[in-house]
Amino acid sequence: MKILVTGAAGFIGSHLCERLLQDGHDVTGVDCFTDYYPPSIKRANIDGCLRQPRFALIETDLNTVNLTELVAGKELVFHLAAQAGVRASWGRDFQIYTETNILLTQRLLEAAIPARLNKFIYASSSSVYGDAVQIPMTEDAVLRPVSPYGVSKLAGEHLAALYWRNFGVPTVSLRFFTVYGPRQRPDMAFHKFLRAILAGRQLPLFGDGQQTRDFTFVSDVIDAAVNASLIAAPGSVFNIGGGHRVTMQHVLELIERITGKQLRVRADGEQKGDMRHTAADISRARDLLGYAPKFDLEQGLALEWNWLQQAISAGALPPLT
Amino acid sequence: MAFNKQLMDVLACPKCKGELHLADDESSIICKACKLVYPIREYGIPCMIIEQALPLENEEHQTR
Repeated sequence: MKILVTGAAGFIGSHLCERLLQDGHDVTGVDCFTDYYPPSIKRANIDGCLRQPRFALIETDLNTVNLTELVAGKELVFHLAAQAGVRASWGRDFQIYTETNILLTQRLLEAAIPARLNKFIYASSSSVYGDAVQIPMTEDAVLRPVSPYGVSKLAGEHLAALYWRNFGVPTVSLRFFTVYGPRQRPDMAFHKFLRAILAGRQLPLFGDGQQTRDFTFVSDVIDAAVNASLIAAPGSVFNIGGGHRVTMQHVLELIERITGKQLRVRADGEQKGDMRHTAADISRARDLLGYAPKFDLEQGLALEWNWLQQAISAGALPPLT
Repeated sequence: MAFNKQLMDVLACPKCKGELHLADDESSIICKACKLVYPIREYGIPCMIIEQALPLENEEHQTR
């Protein structure tokens, strides 16, 4: 199939492109290499794909390409491009979130109308839930995000649903729950923890350590996205979680075991916009997508730890400053 | 890997949204209206970022 992946050089996007190329598809990737984190990291992420003849990458801001032409002739679109980061979404920077996560999504959906796609996969987030829901979170819960980032991702989800109902763009929204693994973004907790250990520094911990998360290993997310692109009903929404909810304190204990290092933790206080707990009810994805997470947290963390050490020794990650 | 010429169909100048031309040597993409040259990088990646474009110095730059 001919496939478009936005955000192709990012953490999840680069893994997805690799999988789609392995499956024999023609993939056009787009990425603007924003400096939210060092672009050199994204270049390293996508390096393997660039050696594949069935892959083409365009370095650009999606607001500047001819989206109708870009989508034309494609059978699948995976829309992963987004401005990430919960804590950075307050204040004046919210404009970046509205432009990237809302306006761009609407323009891409508009461009998808004439393309007659098989599927348009929208990468949503557990942050659409907020704190006002029961645990585990089910897809039909009332959504009250607690961060501007969550608001922007929810707006994108609503747009995806509208373009299915009104124009027949076959959208599917996947709510990813705290994705981790090799190539995880440097602003995310595990990456920060593991790098701090390598640099012999204290680990920055937000909150009291008793907040819980449902961590999802990146290749499980990729399996879910690929399955959704093939068999999900248009207009549907799925939680994609790891299936285990753990406290951050438990994560620290696992990290201590995996790295063999004694940790020194620095409490950085509560952060506005952070949810207290996340836990996905994945029964819908299990029943309708055949989704079954394969990696438990200890396995996944060990793989991220191996990657991080290799990436630093190979110079793919800049030194911790 | 060489530049995939089919991408010319989907690219527009990020500044004026206008037509682009591929340089004859396929090393860059040119917007004659904005007088900007967008480099094509290793592996044939077109870099369509205004801040990274170079000024078009030779008006007679060979393009297709």
